[in-house]
Amino acid sequence: MKVAVVGKGGSGKTTTSAVVARTLARHGLSVVALDCDSNPNLGLSLGVGDDETERLVSMRESLDEGNEEHTPGWDQLLERFGSDAPDGVRLAVVSRIDNPEPGCL
Amino acid sequence: MTIKVAFVGKGGVGKSAIAGTFARALARHGEPVLAIDSDPLPGLAFSLGLARSDAPLPDDAVDEKAEGEEGPRYRLRAGLSAAEAVESYATTGPDGVRFLQFGKHWGNANALWRSQFAFRQIVRELPRDRWNLVGDLPGGTRQPFTGWGNFADTVLVVVEPNAKSLLTGRRLARLAEAADRSWRIVAVANKVREPGDAERVAARTGLTVVGSVPWDEALADAEKNETAPIDTAPDSPAVRAIESLVEHLLVEAPVTGTMQEGVA
Repeated sequence: MKVAVVGKGGSGKTTTSAVVARTLARHGLSVVALDCDSNPNLGLSLGVGDDETERLVSMRESLDEGNEEHTPGWDQLLERFGSDAPDGVRLAVVSRIDNPEPGCL
Repeated sequence: MTIKVAFVGKGGVGKSAIAGTFARALARHGEPVLAIDSDPLPGLAFSLGLARSDAPLPDDAVDEKAEGEEGPRYRLRAGLSAAEAVESYATTGPDGVRFLQFGKHWGNANALWRSQFAFRQIVRELPRDRWNLVGDLPGGTRQPFTGWGNFADTVLVVVEPNAKSLLTGRRLARLAEAADRSWRIVAVANKVREPGDAERVAARTGLTVVGSVPWDEALADAEKNETAPIDTAPDSPAVRAIESLVEHLLVEAPVTGTMQEGVA
């Protein structure tokens, strides 16, 4: 199954996502948790901690740097840019903006 | 001397409730206040005490630039200044607060672009000494420093003493510094429940905490009922704390003219 969690800021999207992900993993499912928020905090709720959450570099950011000879596959991306969270959940941060640039909405 | 503040922070930390109450309290000091909402969600209107949440620019206030004309693709129609646009189109709320909202044009990208360019032009070109500006910016880290917050000379990062909000506050502090403007970046601790919370906010964000707003059921009730805290809970500890924040900033208001012209 593939689940997307949406809602207003502060309503509990991240907390809900993390509990759902870890609960599914405890049922024996293989779970990838994708943090698509431009302000990614999912690592905190999954339990990987503050430093590891900050350490995760987004796939997009790295790809944008142009260091890739060709676009890697999803599995390579998960391997290189993901992090192992408790219960076997694999976390990847797929959106993050560190450098403010004018022009984007 | 006018003060120009932008409220930023993680979604749900209470930016709109604080910004609206701040604007009302500032207006009660006799200051002309323009409250500007660049968040598509309606929180600021409610906390100002306005029944309606839409105060957009009408379509005919905006023109596409002429052939060969410099500048962004859309601008206020010829002859309409930023000051006139505010006088004509900003809603007037309790205590005389004027309110202008970035248009909500769901699913209509063209109207959204028109509105966005005009909205940014207004905050950029508004006479610096005419209005005190109170801006409620969208939650998260994406938008505040991409042109939306350029009007501000003080950025108030609203931080709740929990891990996600603290991390977001730290990111916002870093982004604001990287934006390389002459604004002052400070924190407001919100939903403070116990001694040491404000100190934690200062330690974890690296920012000076200029206000500490206690956890207050009255604010939660106001939000639930879509009312203005300053109307329905004027004596609550949270409203009192926001009034103190206004007084603090009025005393410390920086001299005008420090803003760099922003990039639209």
